[in-house]
Amino acid sequence: MIVAVTIADPRLNDPAWASARLTQAEAAGVDILILGGPDSLPFDPLVLAAWAAPRCRRMHIVATVPASAAHPFHVARALSAIDFLCEGRSGWCPVPASAPAGMAEDMVAAARSLWDGWEPDTLIIDKASGRYLDSSKVKPSNYAGPFFMVTGPVNAMRPPQGHPLLVIDGACPLALEDADVALAGPGETAQAKQVLAKVAVGDPVPDGADGVHYALCDPEHDLAAIAILKGGAA
Amino acid sequence: MSRQIHLWAFLQGIGHYPSGWRHAGADPAGVFTMDYYRRIGQLCERGRFDAIVYGDQLQSRGAGGRTPERLAMPTLDPVPLLAAIGSVTEHIGLVATVSTTYNDVPALAERFATLDRITGGRAGWNIVTTAHPASAANFGAASFPEKAERYARAAEFVEQACELWDSAALPLPQGRPVLVQAGQSGDGRTFAARTAEAIFCPAATIEAGIAFRGDMRARIAAEGRDPDGVRIMPGLSFILAGSEAEAVAKDEALLALADEALCIEYLSESLACDLTVFDPAAPIPVEAILAATILPREDVARSLEKPAQEGLSLGEFASRYVRTPRGHNVFRGTPRQLADQMIAWIDAGACDGFTLQPAYMPGELELFVDEVVPLLQAAGRLRRDYPGRTLRASLGLAE
Repeated sequence: MIVAVTIADPRLNDPAWASARLTQAEAAGVDILILGGPDSLPFDPLVLAAWAAPRCRRMHIVATVPASAAHPFHVARALSAIDFLCEGRSGWCPVPASAPAGMAEDMVAAARSLWDGWEPDTLIIDKASGRYLDSSKVKPSNYAGPFFMVTGPVNAMRPPQGHPLLVIDGACPLALEDADVALAGPGETAQAKQVLAKVAVGDPVPDGADGVHYALCDPEHDLAAIAILKGGAA
Repeated sequence: MSRQIHLWAFLQGIGHYPSGWRHAGADPAGVFTMDYYRRIGQLCERGRFDAIVYGDQLQSRGAGGRTPERLAMPTLDPVPLLAAIGSVTEHIGLVATVSTTYNDVPALAERFATLDRITGGRAGWNIVTTAHPASAANFGAASFPEKAERYARAAEFVEQACELWDSAALPLPQGRPVLVQAGQSGDGRTFAARTAEAIFCPAATIEAGIAFRGDMRARIAAEGRDPDGVRIMPGLSFILAGSEAEAVAKDEALLALADEALCIEYLSESLACDLTVFDPAAPIPVEAILAATILPREDVARSLEKPAQEGLSLGEFASRYVRTPRGHNVFRGTPRQLADQMIAWIDAGACDGFTLQPAYMPGELELFVDEVVPLLQAAGRLRRDYPGRTLRASLGLAE
């Protein structure tokens, strides 16, 4: 059963506090840590995700990304870097925030087109022959959506995961059918390969859910409680 | 006390020589791994450097649609990369290059605010306006703004960002990130004189350094700012060996790794025109290049004029181009000679320190830290310990 948590606490700006929560979350068996909520971003989650990368060994680190915060060219590059730095455990949760309808979906499509501009085995890096890459495996995106246009190719390698883990939140669902993970509360519908039920710590897991999602109000206390629950289940 | 030397490491890709990635001491695959950056961050702290600077571009390589095969690509986005390096280090400053042309003020201000907070006050912003016209199409822009327009936007942008930092609900440890600039043009120097707390520049000779620093200090004073509150940090490339002759031979060997095909790809990048379609043994195809380039044609025409008159073939021109240092000081010699030269520059008022540009990574930077740093420390010119925790403290700037 997958366990995901969201931390949107402004104390994540404090390295000592943030470091302690990362250690605690990994020890508690959290699989997916989401930085920032759809309505709460007292920091830049992509910067924090990168900072967290070398401090975690097994958790996926997911940055909440508002659709209007940056152009997908920047977002795709940042996520590519983070995915390399955490060895394929990065993710993102695009949210509309105050952006117009369709902008978050456009962001996802544009970023995917940039990552797909590089095939997985483009790099050769052969010192002897002097060939660094195979240029036939790099393509421009020429993406033109309703909000974003980008020619590409992006100056960032294809992430180790191909595409970083895509998480969508049922509170502000995106019109996408192929997200990796959806967070769904009561009455919320969101389609994805794995659907996690939003519950309070200690609540039973609803039938049919692939896992649970906890929005942590008191992260230190809540993570301790999750550790006990996970320990009990094992 | 004798004047102290500030050291920065300007790291991009796998080093500053286009052939550097092929050197035995280079780790080209490492630039995609955290282990490599942990090693680099800790190396720079061992050398008591102020900061690591990462350059940036907003376009991929490959003018004319063909991505070069023999050049190591730009690697990771500098802000996340420096945040990760900050996570595994305690003192090193983290200077990220970010453009004012294709970003929004609030989002950029928050990026640097978060970086400064989570690293305990080690963020720096190398402010650029983005010079490559190919960037525009990556942001859906129909045209690329002129230099004067880009600098006008940059000035407004920085002012607004400073207002956001000054009024942040969660204050930054440094108040603001350290503002860094690298312009050499009139527009760039004016902007730097008004804004920058550290300036990165090319200076091929001690005389060029003295002239640049003198000019900038006068401009800074004319803006009503204290010139002692700004660090002038010219670039320094270096090839170190046990004797001068060995260093020259090492440099030649490194340059020889730049075969003709690599040189032509490298020149293609600089002229924004795919030259691999032309015969390298034939004369320089001036008209075809001018028709294809997306750079200002008069600039490209000027750079082609002399080699074309000399009757160089395209391949000869490209090979010579790779071997021409672009305004930066290139040192070849022993660690002792380099330490002496650095002290001579500082004492002559040619700079406040150096922005090291290793030819290949990490080998040549490791040599510098192992061989040159102890000499500078023994001479009383480089600190043995950090004075504080923030980048401003390392730079000796008011906090």
